[in-house]
Amino acid sequence: MLKLTDVEVVFNPNTPYEVRALRGLSLKVERGDFVTVIGANGAGKSTLFNAIAGTITPTRGTIQLNNRDITRTPEHVRSARIGRVFQNPLLGTCPGLTVHENLALAARRGRRRGLRPGVKRAERSVFADLLAMVGMGLETRLDSDVGLLSGGQRQAITLLMATLADPDMLLLDEHTAALDPNAAAQIIDLTVSLAAERHLTVIMITHSMQQAVSVGSRIVMMNRGELVFEICGGERAAITADDLVRRFRDLARGDELSDRSLLE
Amino acid sequence: MTTSIRSRTRARAYALGYAARLTALAAALALLMAASGVSIGAIGQGLALALVGMGVYISFRVLNFPDLSVDGSFPLGGAAAAALIVNCGVSAEWTLFAALAAGALLGLCTALIHVLFKIDGLLASIIVMTGAYTVTLRVMTSSNIPLINQRTILTPYQPSVREWVIANFGAEARRFANNLVEIVVFSLVVIVMLLIVRWFLRTEIGLTLRAAGKNPQMVRAIGVDHRLMIIVGLMLSNGLSGLAGALTVQQLGFADVQMGIGIIVRGLAAVMIGETLLRPRTIGQGILAAIIGMIAFEVLRAWVFAALRLEAADIRLMSAVVVLIALAAPGVLRNIAQRRKTTVIESRDAQTDRR
Repeated sequence: MLKLTDVEVVFNPNTPYEVRALRGLSLKVERGDFVTVIGANGAGKSTLFNAIAGTITPTRGTIQLNNRDITRTPEHVRSARIGRVFQNPLLGTCPGLTVHENLALAARRGRRRGLRPGVKRAERSVFADLLAMVGMGLETRLDSDVGLLSGGQRQAITLLMATLADPDMLLLDEHTAALDPNAAAQIIDLTVSLAAERHLTVIMITHSMQQAVSVGSRIVMMNRGELVFEICGGERAAITADDLVRRFRDLARGDELSDRSLLE
Repeated sequence: MTTSIRSRTRARAYALGYAARLTALAAALALLMAASGVSIGAIGQGLALALVGMGVYISFRVLNFPDLSVDGSFPLGGAAAAALIVNCGVSAEWTLFAALAAGALLGLCTALIHVLFKIDGLLASIIVMTGAYTVTLRVMTSSNIPLINQRTILTPYQPSVREWVIANFGAEARRFANNLVEIVVFSLVVIVMLLIVRWFLRTEIGLTLRAAGKNPQMVRAIGVDHRLMIIVGLMLSNGLSGLAGALTVQQLGFADVQMGIGIIVRGLAAVMIGETLLRPRTIGQGILAAIIGMIAFEVLRAWVFAALRLEAADIRLMSAVVVLIALAAPGVLRNIAQRRKTTVIESRDAQTDRR
């Protein structure tokens, strides 16, 4: 499905500001996997996503999706097959356009856009049903400007938009971090049900250990641009948030990792 | 689905409010013109320039791209029309399409410079605008082309309209006949363009274009190269500006290489006035607001000129001042309203203190 081989990303190479964000990282994700990625700030989690999505090109290594090399494919071409949700709820939707218009834009992901009407009346009931599934009362707001909605509502719409055209892969970059606990829980529930219903392949970055253990089938921990451990199978089923925090702390002690605030 | 219907009713109620504001503005302008004797020629001029307002609305508002190259596409469109009529004997109606294409080509240049070389949009458009001056001059071969005794899109209707006006309003009114022809013909062109652009901005491509201006990151995320949308948008806006140039040339009866300078400022003023006074919400309302804003601006400008007895040399400064007022007024008015509210509260407080 997704295969990263020895991927290296270096920012500002050969200058005093050189940053090696990914150091020869390899990762294999199978169809239907739900991987949660944890790690301290600056561990390279977002860089990993940027490399997969095509926002940045790796300095070394290859990225394959469905056995096709996509290392140098432009971002907008890849996004036909890869859905992505950012931490910032404002990034995923377009203010000034209605909820219906936003969803209609996403529904045509990966297809040729022409001079047909941008929104169709026939889509309304489909979109309303989808929105009803979210449980935020959005099904009644198809004609509202997205800019008038709350962060949680916008993030829910972003999640629907990212999954609307059945992508091969869904990338979630701390997509609940900017939301209040209630909204975050709703978004996580939606994520889980969407993933199960559509048999999605998901990689989710999170800073919440609770989320990391309660959601998904595999846990991957990153540190300083490398994968440091992976938990799956029986071990994954048995692990608790406290175990994860302990392992995180061990690593931090060994590495003199300064950023401890994220463990709480 | 009942609440969905409710939100559609709300949109309809807003459209009614918009229509009310539009009517009020039209009435105010008509009153001003009647009271001060501003010629209805100002309306014709506003209509000729309205497409610049529409273009500026698309580039600045829809696409969020600060494009100054309309200053180049306006005279280029005018020059193309005049040169084709005078030198090639092309019929005036067809020159409108040529002007549209010439403007669009200039927009393509700006967009490509921005997209391919990653040069800031403002800078890219200034480069194109500067170069376009020479192109316009080459198209015209001289700095001024008069259209005397040439058939324009207006001349076929002028004699019959003049007769009709004289028959109905007396010989006194004959000087308004040509203005009347301008208003009718230009209105037709502007309405057709309004409908086409409104239709286009609601198609799949148009919707993507609108999203590209608001959130380019999202447009890439839904699988579209947002740069393509910049190219389409700038071609459209500069094409409209070129068309406005062709209309203006046929109205003035000549093309001049200098006629584009500062047109961007008027376009911006039109958009600002339209937005402030009409508060559009949908894309169609926005385009219409830019058109009406341009007519209002031209009428106000004519009135200021007449009231202050200004000369032609003062045009630029006056335009700049009117634009400044149009830009600054909303903020200043809001501040004053705020201050009045606080002083009311303060004086109320002072009264209670005295007690």
